[in-house]
Amino acid sequence: MDSTLVDFVKALRTAEIKVSPAETLDAMECLDLVGIKDRKFLKDSLALVLSKTPEEKEAFSDCFDHFFAFENFKRIGQDGEYTDAEDQGDDADVDSDSDQASGEGSQPGSGDGQGGGSGGDAAEESDISGPLDTSLDPESPLGELLLSGSRTELVVSMAEAGRAAEVNKIVVFTQKGLYTRKIMDGMGLKGLQDEIGALNANEREGAGAIPQNHLAKRLTKARDHLREQVRDYVEKQFFLHADESGKQLREELLKKVKLSNLEKRNFKDVQEIVFKMAKKLVAIHSKRRKTYKRGQLDVRKTLRHNMQYDGMLFDLHWKAHKVDRPKVMCICDVSGSVSNYSRFLLMFLYGLADVIPKVRSFAFSSDLGEVTSLFQNSKVEEAMARTMRDYGNGSTDYGRMFMDFKNHCMDDVDNKTTIIILGDARNNFGDAKAEILREMYDKSKRVIWLNPEPKSSWTVGDAEMGKYRPACHQAEVCNSLTHLERVVSNLLKTAT
Amino acid sequence: MALKNADRLSSVEVIKENFESRNYICNTQIATAVFLAYHLEKPILIEGPPGVGKTELAKTCAELLDLECIRLQCYEGLDESKAIYEWKYGKQLLYTQVLKETLGEILDGATGLQESVVKLHEFGDVFFSEDFLEPRPLLKALHHDEGCVLLIDEVDKSDHEFESLLLEMLSDFQLSIPEIGTVKARPGKKPLVFLTSNNTREISDALKRRCLHLYIPFPDAALERQIVQARVPEITESLRNQLVAFIQELRDMDLKKVPAISETIDWARTLILLHTESLDADLVKQTLNVILKFQEDIETAEADVQNLTNKALKQA
Repeated sequence: MDSTLVDFVKALRTAEIKVSPAETLDAMECLDLVGIKDRKFLKDSLALVLSKTPEEKEAFSDCFDHFFAFENFKRIGQDGEYTDAEDQGDDADVDSDSDQASGEGSQPGSGDGQGGGSGGDAAEESDISGPLDTSLDPESPLGELLLSGSRTELVVSMAEAGRAAEVNKIVVFTQKGLYTRKIMDGMGLKGLQDEIGALNANEREGAGAIPQNHLAKRLTKARDHLREQVRDYVEKQFFLHADESGKQLREELLKKVKLSNLEKRNFKDVQEIVFKMAKKLVAIHSKRRKTYKRGQLDVRKTLRHNMQYDGMLFDLHWKAHKVDRPKVMCICDVSGSVSNYSRFLLMFLYGLADVIPKVRSFAFSSDLGEVTSLFQNSKVEEAMARTMRDYGNGSTDYGRMFMDFKNHCMDDVDNKTTIIILGDARNNFGDAKAEILREMYDKSKRVIWLNPEPKSSWTVGDAEMGKYRPACHQAEVCNSLTHLERVVSNLLKTAT
Repeated sequence: MALKNADRLSSVEVIKENFESRNYICNTQIATAVFLAYHLEKPILIEGPPGVGKTELAKTCAELLDLECIRLQCYEGLDESKAIYEWKYGKQLLYTQVLKETLGEILDGATGLQESVVKLHEFGDVFFSEDFLEPRPLLKALHHDEGCVLLIDEVDKSDHEFESLLLEMLSDFQLSIPEIGTVKARPGKKPLVFLTSNNTREISDALKRRCLHLYIPFPDAALERQIVQARVPEITESLRNQLVAFIQELRDMDLKKVPAISETIDWARTLILLHTESLDADLVKQTLNVILKFQEDIETAEADVQNLTNKALKQA
């Protein structure tokens, strides 16, 4: 059972539920206490131990149902349908015990089912074979298993073969065939094949009587049916284990791809990544706190620290703490030349604004406009669409933008402000107004310029990076999400 | 663990029944959480919207086990001197002053500095002993003779640093005090710990890892009816059904703060005071301020009251 639980934890991790080894140990302890008789009780208990947010709980519930859902093997080996009352009961048994059966072979539930099953078998078999009352029994173990019709045992045998074939390591869907084959082999397909072959050979020689013929047919049918079941099983395993790791792989790739090369169908993924990144960055960096050097006196702390000075109040301590968060102004070029990038930059800005309260965002092609409140109040698609509509796709005029900034926002810049400018600095040969950037440089804590173009083309054509660069604390190439993440992380680190 | 009355937690069904007899209606998940918390000796972190009975669960548990409920209300700036322990500085200062006189007697007969110091050492760290220690909730909970229920309320309101302070307590049921050493819970009398959080910020993974995590959502209609029945038994069945149906409808609307169970109960009491027998739109409008706590929510809801009332009447 323990190894089943570990597999389950692995499946949870691929479903983006963070489970630590310590929690796995807790789960085992919990398993010992709760037992495996009551499926719902077990599920509730494991949910308490393993999933730690409402979202994770939902994912957990799905994952649990998938992982511990074993196929209901249809009664195979019989030509006729099965209309036994006992069958229903049997079904329910298998349902509720499902996985547990794989852990413990002999449970009262499964035992009952078997008994009922084989009873029905005998009765019906004599029906089918009719006048010939010498019905043959298959000799290979798998054939026997198939025809005895015990689903529980089949499930167990399949799960074991699956584990031996390491089906949980499946990565891409093209491996499905391979694993199906491996599991079939593991269950003893070869023996079954040989037996069917032998039976058929007998028949061809004419020596085979009707019972052999009949048996061969039944076995072939059962085998095909089994193959289908196994394929289903592998498919489920694939969704359980590979789907998410495939997604992680894709996300890693997307982070490295140039933003301009991203295709429309990837936008949704990218959006997810961008939000994740923004959230992560803020989680790491929002903890900085320091004590104010003024405000209310912390009497207890002061007294305690001054015991060593014979109670003289000497070393003063204050009550108030403050959380230090960077004050960021972000100016984003949304003109035609960089429109491919600005989508993502805006998206990132939106993500940041969601989590850092003090970000002010601006967008411009020629006239500068503040979009902070738009970002705070509307959904990301709408905010971006409106920004693009209002400010986007004109011809660029950095000089004008700097003038606007000077007129409206320069007063808000102080020595704690970090200014980030996102743009390619292609000014259509207009007046660069680098002196305003210089002023911003002097007043603010940091000016960072993120340019999507490679450094070699920073001064080529109408690009003005040559003039702007001396007035920036930092000028970086930024054209993939990894770049972006690095820059912002640095920004937050030094923003105390 | 062997707290007294532990048999009242012997199985999930027993817990559920016992809670019900104390007017706390809970679903299986909640009962399972309490069961596991007791048997695995783990704290429970309870999350959920305000007013679904997070704090109440801890209190009911204490009542059930007939143990004291020690409560630590968290807020920004809470630190170890208010949560764990503090030295009685006044007493320490006073004693040093008073004892200056006695010092002479103690050192009586000692000759030379060396000998005096040795003599002084014999008395040990009198000023940093338990006599001068003021225990705060966490330490009190560990010291408690027959175990207790420790409720750490609204842990999300405290600072990150404070969360780290809690870790030792939550995983090992012990606290380290530099001057004294490690204080451990009495064997078999470990406190049953509940933490509640309103999700105003993300609780750190380290803390979550050490706890069972229970999420209490708003109850479904059937459960809520039971709760109202248990808390406000004098209400008639038809009114109760209408009331719950109305609240459930209201929760689906886009509101700043949706009404919680506590508001449902308040409303039920209000309606009884007003001798109501059946909901009608006017009455609802007048009493809307009991269930909705923001003016803009009230305005949003008022427009829809007629519609909602009709729906509720139809459903009930």
